[in-house]
Amino acid sequence: MKPSEIIDHPFGSAYAMRLGAKAPWLGHLPGPKTEAWRFTPLRTLASTPFVPASASNDVDVTELPRGLPLIAGAARLVLVNGAYRADLSDREFGQGLTVSTAQEFASSARSPLALLNAAYAAAGISIDAAGAGLRPIHLISIGAAGAEPLAFHPRLRITVAPAASLTIIESHVGLPGQTYFSNPVTEIVLAEKASLRRYVSVAEDSEAFHLATTTISIAAGGSLEAFHLGLGGALVRQEISVRFEGRGAAARLNGAYALSGRAHHDFTTVMDHNVPDCHSSQVFKGVADGDSHGVFQGRIHVARDSQRSDARQLHKALFLSRGPQIDCKPELEIYADDVQCAHGAATGEIDHDHLFYLMSRGIDPATARSLLVEGFLTEAVIEVSVPDVQAHFIDAIRTWLKSREIARGRP
Amino acid sequence: MALLEIKNLHASVAGKAILKGITLALEPGTVHAIMGPNGTGKSTLSNVIAGREGYDVTEGEVLLDGKNVLAMSADERARAGIFLAFQYPVEIPGVTTSAFLKTALNAKRRAEGKTEVDAMEFLKLVKAKTAALGMPYDMIKRALNVGFSGGEKKRAEVLQMTLLEPRLAILDETDSGLDIDALKVVSEGVNSLRAPDRAFLVITHYQRLLDYIVPDHVHVLAHGRIAASGGKELAVELEAEGYAKYLDAAA
Repeated sequence: MKPSEIIDHPFGSAYAMRLGAKAPWLGHLPGPKTEAWRFTPLRTLASTPFVPASASNDVDVTELPRGLPLIAGAARLVLVNGAYRADLSDREFGQGLTVSTAQEFASSARSPLALLNAAYAAAGISIDAAGAGLRPIHLISIGAAGAEPLAFHPRLRITVAPAASLTIIESHVGLPGQTYFSNPVTEIVLAEKASLRRYVSVAEDSEAFHLATTTISIAAGGSLEAFHLGLGGALVRQEISVRFEGRGAAARLNGAYALSGRAHHDFTTVMDHNVPDCHSSQVFKGVADGDSHGVFQGRIHVARDSQRSDARQLHKALFLSRGPQIDCKPELEIYADDVQCAHGAATGEIDHDHLFYLMSRGIDPATARSLLVEGFLTEAVIEVSVPDVQAHFIDAIRTWLKSREIARGRP
Repeated sequence: MALLEIKNLHASVAGKAILKGITLALEPGTVHAIMGPNGTGKSTLSNVIAGREGYDVTEGEVLLDGKNVLAMSADERARAGIFLAFQYPVEIPGVTTSAFLKTALNAKRRAEGKTEVDAMEFLKLVKAKTAALGMPYDMIKRALNVGFSGGEKKRAEVLQMTLLEPRLAILDETDSGLDIDALKVVSEGVNSLRAPDRAFLVITHYQRLLDYIVPDHVHVLAHGRIAASGGKELAVELEAEGYAKYLDAAA
């Protein structure tokens, strides 16, 4: 649905009032009785008086925050409060990459949050990739609210032409201050034999909301390798739907989360084997400390004629204390008979034998736990095939572990 | 003063008494072997000394250089110089052997008031030690013990021992699962560590290991007590005659 077509929806009033005052959409968010949102309540979000991003409410961001990954040769694309910032972005993207920053385009996502995005997103960013040897793209989305809570709705479309190959890294970060709500929608279309590597890191401010919707369609012989890291935010959901549209396509969709304090993180995935002969694998691992809440909902759908589908899914989580909650809901809907499907889910605590082994070598319990948590999450991060990105993600996890130690009064 | 003194040690697991009064003194520079059939408390003894949770010491003392070991946590004991070579070293996915070794080595060095080794010094040190044990250096890049063969795991235990240079090394059934070549390599590694200021407690089921790591004293553990003590010839006798007479006598 295109933004201008949404006028009939309840959010249409929002579209009409796009640059108006207080958000009129809060009453239309999914509630706890909506199955897909059962574990991720939006009460706090709905009761926050967000205003749309506008120049008057923006904090002036003139430089990039620290701690962003350095990806050799990557072309930078920067959004501040959802708006493209030419001054912070690269101008040249190199051969084969077309980036346009003021596009209205449709998204296939139909969720309330995607519609909300359509209602508000004034303009989207479109990345079209063709050919080989393309520069990687590093998309940086910065949330920076001024005096009032701020809502913004980044809209992104990525197309990869037949046999082309693209790598995109996304960093979603925020500046401390007033709360903000980032509601990105990303539409990805991979043509025949196209391949995409997409690495998303969400490390928002501890007061921020981030509800991301991604839809990916993959044509015959296409391949996706995606990794999503969730390191914080008051309420974060990364919802990713993958749909195979042609035979011989493959998707590796992986992720990790590390939560402390009152952080909430939700991975919701849909793997739609709509055609025969496709492979999908998912590995998600998470750790939860404090009073945090981790959610994994993973649906695998294999259509009736999708023979020789191979679909695998694994979610493993560790409780680091007694306070957190972890909900895991795998859903397998398999209508074909010649398929390989496997799913696993395990939630537990740090293994006492592992802990004793490290302590018996003189490593103090806090350091031993940190090593084990890092190792546990590393098991997922090693799925990232780009060494720079893998190293950055492991560093980010180490930084998270250190901040947790500091919070507990350890040097 | 003895390096390790165990005085009238009683310990139980889940309310069941396993050790029923063990008294043992290890002088610096000596190797003591503890032999005995399965289920007599050999592993309990090593776990109690190393500080594993789940064991209740109901009576007695364990002193390392005169200090009360039982009041220390497992990591404090290790930094004080106790090293347990595990019968079944655990596999820890995601944690590289090198990160683990460096963390352990620097924890020990900090406790001794020494400066930490940096990455270069560490690699140089590990290169020398792995070469001496006939281990491929690349093994330290692998996840800790993951996918290691039985022999590789035991070599990795000895590698850790040579890096951490303990005061007291406890070898818990180090010979189990080893073929004869691996047994030789592991034994040579242990023998190279024999030193006037270090003691070994070698726990084993079979005499075979003691052909390579020759003990100064041999003790027979039966029903949670030391049923007999002697020199290395006692091990040979046990190999020939079995444990039956000690089990009957202690029962």
